[in-house]
Amino acid sequence: MSRKMILRVSVAVLCVYFVIAICAPLFTPFGPAEISGKPLQPPGNDHLLGTNDLGQDIFCQLVYGARITLLFGFCSALLSVLISTTVGIVIGYYGGFVDEFVSRCIDILVPIPMFPLLIVLTAFFSPGVLQISLLMGVLGSIHGIRIIRSQVLSLAQTSFVEGARAIGASDFHIMSRHILPNVMPVVMVKFVSQSQHLLVMGVGLSFIGLWDTTTVDWGTMIQNSYSSGGMALGLWWWLLPPGIAVIGISLALAMIGYSFEEKFNPRVGVNRI
Amino acid sequence: MMSLISIAGLSVRFATRSECVRAVDTVDLEIARGDHLALIGESGCGKTVLGMAVMGLLPENALIRGTIRYRERDLLQAEDAEMQRIRGKEIAMIMQNTASSLNPVIPVGIQVSEPILLHRILPAKAVQAEAIRLLGAMGFDLPERAACRYPHEFSGGMQERILVAIALACRPDIVIADEPTSGLDAEVKSQILHLIKKQMADRTLLLITHDLGTARFLCTRVAVMYAGEIVEEGPAHDLLSLPLHPYTQGLLASLPSAGLHPIPGMSPSPSHLPDGCRFCSRCPSATARCSTEHPRMSVRGARRVRCFHYA
Repeated sequence: MSRKMILRVSVAVLCVYFVIAICAPLFTPFGPAEISGKPLQPPGNDHLLGTNDLGQDIFCQLVYGARITLLFGFCSALLSVLISTTVGIVIGYYGGFVDEFVSRCIDILVPIPMFPLLIVLTAFFSPGVLQISLLMGVLGSIHGIRIIRSQVLSLAQTSFVEGARAIGASDFHIMSRHILPNVMPVVMVKFVSQSQHLLVMGVGLSFIGLWDTTTVDWGTMIQNSYSSGGMALGLWWWLLPPGIAVIGISLALAMIGYSFEEKFNPRVGVNRI
Repeated sequence: MMSLISIAGLSVRFATRSECVRAVDTVDLEIARGDHLALIGESGCGKTVLGMAVMGLLPENALIRGTIRYRERDLLQAEDAEMQRIRGKEIAMIMQNTASSLNPVIPVGIQVSEPILLHRILPAKAVQAEAIRLLGAMGFDLPERAACRYPHEFSGGMQERILVAIALACRPDIVIADEPTSGLDAEVKSQILHLIKKQMADRTLLLITHDLGTARFLCTRVAVMYAGEIVEEGPAHDLLSLPLHPYTQGLLASLPSAGLHPIPGMSPSPSHLPDGCRFCSRCPSATARCSTEHPRMSVRGARRVRCFHYA
């Protein structure tokens, strides 16, 4: 398959996920927590993907679970990219003490693996989904700050930035109108790769059971099936759907990320824009 | 005539850890309204730094002394906000590196309209039309289409025209043009020079160049800079036909039309300037006094020259 086809298919897959998440009530006859049938029924006419140990419809859980999982992944990615872009541009543009200070802090934070750190933090503070999302956004922005700062460092020295100063532009104007458009490609690539990364990490966290286990998302679904021995009992319809859903979106995002990177980064691949 | 900009005792130094670079040293310069003044000198003589000092765009580590008076105020003492109001609106600059002075990801029409929007010269609705008018005045055949294009779609000459349009967008009093024709071929260069001459007819121009031909064509007055100071200044025609200072004589003799006789030696490093005349080591008519004593500016009619032979 050509690169272009892969990108198209991935974007289509992503769109399907979003449509399903947004229009969840249209596809589902039952609510996600509604006990709608006998427990542990295999897939059939009444229940498209069977039921779990409480008699909840797996298909409905899967569809509603998409909402939380996607919202979580994309919100934290958006936050992380917002932070990296703002902080990266500001410290790269002004330089000086603040830049030095932030850069050293980042140097300290970068080697700390994020997932274990998150596990420790969530285990201590037992925050809600929203707080975890914020926390992941902040932690996930660290690497991006570095990348964007390094880009801005060279952009700030260019003649067109000097030229913008010569027409009387303020620092804010230069950062928002001249530097931001030039780092936008990097920001886009970072956003896509961060959404994939953080979405999977979110599923991981909820699988471990580190957030409110009553919310229905893919991680909790896998966790429930796992802890009730669904795997050992051969209840594939309980475990596989959320697993495949996670793999699907993660693959789609990864492929979009690679295509973007190839497009925007002349050193990777051959398709220059 | 009252001068529009008067620079007095301007010194710019860059202090690094190990040494102090004297880029501009006690420069006095008067630019009258409507004057077209060329600042001539070789690379590294401080002419760009002087231009940047007038714009207030020198980096933080520059130590600046002296005054630059412009309309009853000292530009060196002005607040940042005030300098932002002046830059682009009253004093505009045509930047040195043509190709990299335009933002690669913004259509040129927007870049031309940017100074107009920043200084709120026109209501927002009229800005687009004004940008197109400016591009048309710069010689673009289809300014509407040119405005939507990106800088890389234009040739060097066209990019230079865009830079001129940006500089003139707010109808500034003073334009500082830093090497406006560097890197252009002879044909395009002469077109650009004619364009600049036409547009500068009722404006004040400070041209920074190393090209004597450009200076002769565009300017009424010439100041020659050497190793951070002005060594000779006067009306363009007089100065270029009968140079007084040995350095100016050397410059003219090094032109291809005069037989391409380069000045022997190198200009002194701005971090280790000699005590005496700075041109002393390369000067064919240097005397013992030249190497020990620093010459002052001596006035001869409309001209000034920094050389003992005319004192």
